[in-house]
Amino acid sequence: MAPFKPFQDDRSQYPEKRADGTLDIDLSSGKYLKLWQGPQHPGITGNMSVELTVCGDEVVEGKTHVGYLHRGFEKLMERRTFIQCFPIVCRICVPEPDFNEYCYAAAVEELAGIKVPEKANWIRTLILEMGRINSYLMYLGGQAGAFGMGVIGQWTTYVRDLMLDRFEELTGARIYHMFIMPGGVRDGLPDGFEARMEETLQEIESTLQDVYEAMFCNAIYKKRAVGVGYIDPALLDSYGVTGPTARAAGVAKDVRRDQPYLVYPELDFEPVVATESDIYARSDVRRRDLLVSIDLIRQILVRMPKAGPVMAPLPNVLHWKIPRGETYVRGECSRGEYGYYLVTDGSGYPRRVNVRGPSYTHAMALLERFIVNVNIADVAGLMVSLHTYPPEIER
Amino acid sequence: MDALIGLWEWLGENLIIVQILIKIVVIVAPLMLCVAYFTYAERKIIGYMQTRIGPNRVGPKGWLQPIADAVKLMFKEIILPTAANKTLFLIAPLLTLGPALAAWAVFPFQEGLVLADVNAGLLYIMALTSVGVYGVIIAGWASNSKYAFLGAMRSAAQIVSYEIAMGFALVGVLVAAGSLNLGDIVRAQQGEGGLFNWFWLPLLPLFLIYFISGVAETNRAPFDVAEGESEIVAGFHVEYSGMPFAVFFLGEYANMILISALTALMFLGGWLSPFPASWVDGVPLLGDGMHWLFLKTLIFGFFFLWLRATFPRYRYDQIMRLGWKVFIPITIVWILVIGLAVIYQMPWWFD
Repeated sequence: MAPFKPFQDDRSQYPEKRADGTLDIDLSSGKYLKLWQGPQHPGITGNMSVELTVCGDEVVEGKTHVGYLHRGFEKLMERRTFIQCFPIVCRICVPEPDFNEYCYAAAVEELAGIKVPEKANWIRTLILEMGRINSYLMYLGGQAGAFGMGVIGQWTTYVRDLMLDRFEELTGARIYHMFIMPGGVRDGLPDGFEARMEETLQEIESTLQDVYEAMFCNAIYKKRAVGVGYIDPALLDSYGVTGPTARAAGVAKDVRRDQPYLVYPELDFEPVVATESDIYARSDVRRRDLLVSIDLIRQILVRMPKAGPVMAPLPNVLHWKIPRGETYVRGECSRGEYGYYLVTDGSGYPRRVNVRGPSYTHAMALLERFIVNVNIADVAGLMVSLHTYPPEIER
Repeated sequence: MDALIGLWEWLGENLIIVQILIKIVVIVAPLMLCVAYFTYAERKIIGYMQTRIGPNRVGPKGWLQPIADAVKLMFKEIILPTAANKTLFLIAPLLTLGPALAAWAVFPFQEGLVLADVNAGLLYIMALTSVGVYGVIIAGWASNSKYAFLGAMRSAAQIVSYEIAMGFALVGVLVAAGSLNLGDIVRAQQGEGGLFNWFWLPLLPLFLIYFISGVAETNRAPFDVAEGESEIVAGFHVEYSGMPFAVFFLGEYANMILISALTALMFLGGWLSPFPASWVDGVPLLGDGMHWLFLKTLIFGFFFLWLRATFPRYRYDQIMRLGWKVFIPITIVWILVIGLAVIYQMPWWFD
């Protein structure tokens, strides 16, 4: 299907461009309306707002406003010891907190020169894939909900809850696990974990089949999503687009395969790619990626070493000083490339931590660019399809 | 008992107003109860479709939930936005609920059981279901809010265009039955074929279009763009709270029940039994009666809830395209087909 092109027939209502490139929008003319979506709006993901200038039903200009959720994580970490940062980093991204723990732990290990035991790497990969499944399940519900289909969110929330039970069993916590520590992970797998995990995976697979039939085969969902929110693949690099949003545009970017980390080189998987680059393609890429993650968890549980240490010995963490250095650690989270840039100066505190979250690029510059010419009704769907979490924008 | 009947006849001769008022109460009170428990049914049914339980705390199995909701809404503060037009703001909910209740005046529940047996019943129904849109437009305008205004504009365009498809579907019924009287429309569906004598079979496209237009007319999913939650928050009633909001709510659900009952009446034979009269002669409950009408209305009411749980929301321009480019042409063609069938007295239905 051809990309959605509004104003195709009649561009007489569309504002002219001024000499400096801005749009000639005269609010007093009555042709345009300022419409704020957010920070409290059921269609917006989390606490951010979009300031729309609409002409009839079409958006002619969109501005994103963030800052409602700024909690200063990066600054807080500069006055915490290295081990004290773990309860902070996981709060940067609520649905997928483990990625922050892994990236931060890997950066600390690299600068401190700690060798992680083999089994800990397998468990870390397992946790990251479980978190990815959680995040994608939440996304599917949100994408359907943005188009007014509440039932998908209820189904996926149910299976996500089963996955949270597995997290609770493994780590002792449901949302913020703080399981990945510098040097490894806190503990090994509990008894019988593999069998219960298999049951959960089967439940998720059967729910995904229902979701596929109810949502992806639904004629109205196709009408709403196919051809809407088209992102030009030529612009992906200039906007720093990564992850499923880039893969839906036909670019097979996947940090798990391009710069392998943990045990991904030993696992067998292919990045999921689509070419349409619209809302439907983005949601479908994430659905198929979920199946890949389920397959990866099965591979991990079979091939994981059964015995061995899960934690390398650490020095006394209260007086733990890490030598001067800097590093950047990256990984593929459910939304794109996730990275931690860590600078140490030989003291007991990090000198600087910078979090590179994909939400920042996706929800601000990219959204502002691609929200233009979209119907008001599709703004929420487009925003959700970029899969952003505001806490990650404002570290 | 004889004294009561005597009093009733005396009322009919001397104080006809009082008699009519009693009749109105007898219709409206159960209707309001139905509306209350329709909301309960909606929450329960959609709950089960979404792997939830639904309300189960107030009273046994949550049966008192609608009562608790009504009491809560009654005691809530009525917030009037400072820039709102206060008179219109408060009149709008009444304009939505009023027609939804008034339409029941000409509705025949059973042979002879009707408040006003007027010959222009169908016309009256069509007029009243159209008046409901004024409540929505006035609410959106008087709220002085951008989201409410957008919702009102969408609703106005949508209801006006689906009114046409709905009207043409009813013209088909009118041609088939040869009368505007709702009782006569049901009697025209009587016959030896039982449920195959009803109008749903010869008027199948009109039947489907009438019900779908009815869903659009009542602003229900998948046509709920007027209050599309993820787009314009709550649309026309975003500024309403407390009792005015409850009146909007009652109006929406009363309209749903009305559309369900009208569909049952015009296409599924109203109070007629689905079995041929000769089969069930003397068998209790299987003959014609009000319970059949109730059952058919329930089925359509369930469809309303089922649609809401199953479909995403249409985009606004897609709804207009569906109404103008699909439904209206189909109805016009089918009216011609029905006209020919009536002229040539097609057997089973029109002979």
